[in-house]
Amino acid sequence: MQVILGLALGAIFILLASGLSMIYGLMDVVNFAHGAFYMLGAYAIYTLNRFLGNFGLGVAFSVIIVALMGSVVELTLLRPLYKRNNPLYPLLLTFGLALAIPDIIKIIYGLVGKSIQYPESLMGSFLLGTLVIPKYRVFVIIFTFTILIALWLFLKKSDLGMILRASTRDKEMVDILGVSVPKVMTAGFTMGIALAALGGSIAAPMVAVEPDMGVNIIMQSFVVTVIGGLGSLGGAIIGGIIIGQVVSLTSLLAGAYADVAIYFAMATILLLRPRGLFGEIGRE
Amino acid sequence: MGILKNIADKYRHIFLAFLILLCMPAVIPVPTASTILIYGLYALGYNIALGYTGMLSFGHAAFFGLGAYGAGIAFRYFNASVWSSLLTGAALATFFSLIIGALCVRKRGVYFALLIAAFGQMFYFLALSPLKRITGGEDGLRGIPVLSVETPFHVNLADPISLYFFILVIVAISILVMHRFLQSPFGSLLQGIRENEKRLRACGYNTNFIKVFSFSVSGLFAGLAGALYTIFLGYVPLNSLYWLTSGTALLMTLLGGVGTFFGPLLGAGIFIYFEDTISAIVARWEIIVGGMFVFLILVFPEGVLGTIRKKMEQFGQTESKSVQERMLNWLKK
Repeated sequence: MQVILGLALGAIFILLASGLSMIYGLMDVVNFAHGAFYMLGAYAIYTLNRFLGNFGLGVAFSVIIVALMGSVVELTLLRPLYKRNNPLYPLLLTFGLALAIPDIIKIIYGLVGKSIQYPESLMGSFLLGTLVIPKYRVFVIIFTFTILIALWLFLKKSDLGMILRASTRDKEMVDILGVSVPKVMTAGFTMGIALAALGGSIAAPMVAVEPDMGVNIIMQSFVVTVIGGLGSLGGAIIGGIIIGQVVSLTSLLAGAYADVAIYFAMATILLLRPRGLFGEIGRE
Repeated sequence: MGILKNIADKYRHIFLAFLILLCMPAVIPVPTASTILIYGLYALGYNIALGYTGMLSFGHAAFFGLGAYGAGIAFRYFNASVWSSLLTGAALATFFSLIIGALCVRKRGVYFALLIAAFGQMFYFLALSPLKRITGGEDGLRGIPVLSVETPFHVNLADPISLYFFILVIVAISILVMHRFLQSPFGSLLQGIRENEKRLRACGYNTNFIKVFSFSVSGLFAGLAGALYTIFLGYVPLNSLYWLTSGTALLMTLLGGVGTFFGPLLGAGIFIYFEDTISAIVARWEIIVGGMFVFLILVFPEGVLGTIRKKMEQFGQTESKSVQERMLNWLKK
């Protein structure tokens, strides 16, 4: 049962880590604000759920709205920084955003956490022999899996996906070939944010929706991304699964050390294999 | 007279700074001034790694917190004197910064920063839960007795002004040490690493060793600042280990000017002062901090002192020597 919980947790991590990885791979920007967008996704579904009543629609709209916010951020705040050629600046900017955005939410929604009900169709659990498996967790796992497949297909088979992958490898070449790189970066950033928002929306019923929920998850997502290797989608997936299990199992066995364990794992893996499990050489 | 004049020339900025610091408690509330000194020291230490050596770290709160908890534990459990506790805190921080630095030094840029952040988080969570019995967990380490200094003469640390001047003495000595350190040939090596590490390595220097050394020095001062913080507060808050505290060092350094000597101190001053005054007015001042960050990055990435320096360099190129110019030169580093 812990394994299932771990997988569900891992699924959320994967969503966040893939977004982070994509943004880093494309723009060399470590998006500290990723957790903030995750949180925005959760708050979006919370708000929309009351209006729409339909969870699925709510998730869809949450993702769209937050992704749009992401594009605005990229266009107005990040773009002026690219010409400075120093990856430090966008990183610091996202850091500032990570501080400011939760506070804005605190003003709008207050300090107290909110909670969302599981959607009707996904409440309750399955019985598998003696195991009680919450339906929603299974949903999260399957849904994330589907999204990942869709993402993979998009990246591999579609034109835009190909352009994105190419830009991750060699921006200048793509530019020379006539593609508008700034637009690609905006698109990539938006996609990454969309993934974060998606993670936030579907995580919302499972966790406490509070303004600071992004703060802890961003660090954990970094762990996943870095373990898998910045820039590698496959790595993000494996990393997510591993970390999901690590958290889940250590919570069970040695509660107090759960949080410490992830960072310990990250430090270990980074020290042994500097670029992460699947990261590309030369990115370090 | 010649020697004195030489010393005066070299150290004029430091004298100016000390003068300002001496007068600070007359202008600002004393606790705020003390906090500025402490965070200033922290940021100055941080800048040794970031501004001078080019190593970005997102986990310096670990060393600040280690210094704080080290001193706190010495006070609480071993009834140590003020000097011993300061030493303990600084030593603990230096020790760990040495180890962590040595472990991580081979990694570049982002990976390095994140690795340090990971260690920082580890310390935070260790203090939060597993080591709760020693560290006091979320409540922080309390139960520190009322402090006073006995040697070389008695200083009652319960009195805010005495406390301020005590901290000032320690910070002043640290600044002098840092200045000598950074102005020395070794300091030039650090800047060389920041500018072009490969080239320095081609010249035959063991850059990894230098980086670890620099990082430990940075950790030392961060830890010292943390220990002073414990003395100042009378207890050790858990968030001294929190990543936000790391970000604060970064913000202050950025605000004042990365790579300038007094930048971090100035940045600390501005930041703490703003924090104190604004948080009295506005409940949610983190937006302001975040907003400040964003604004700084977009408009003034060099920070206050950095921008001044840049402007003066531009200025110096277009005007001929005049009294004005010489006065500016006197102020310029």
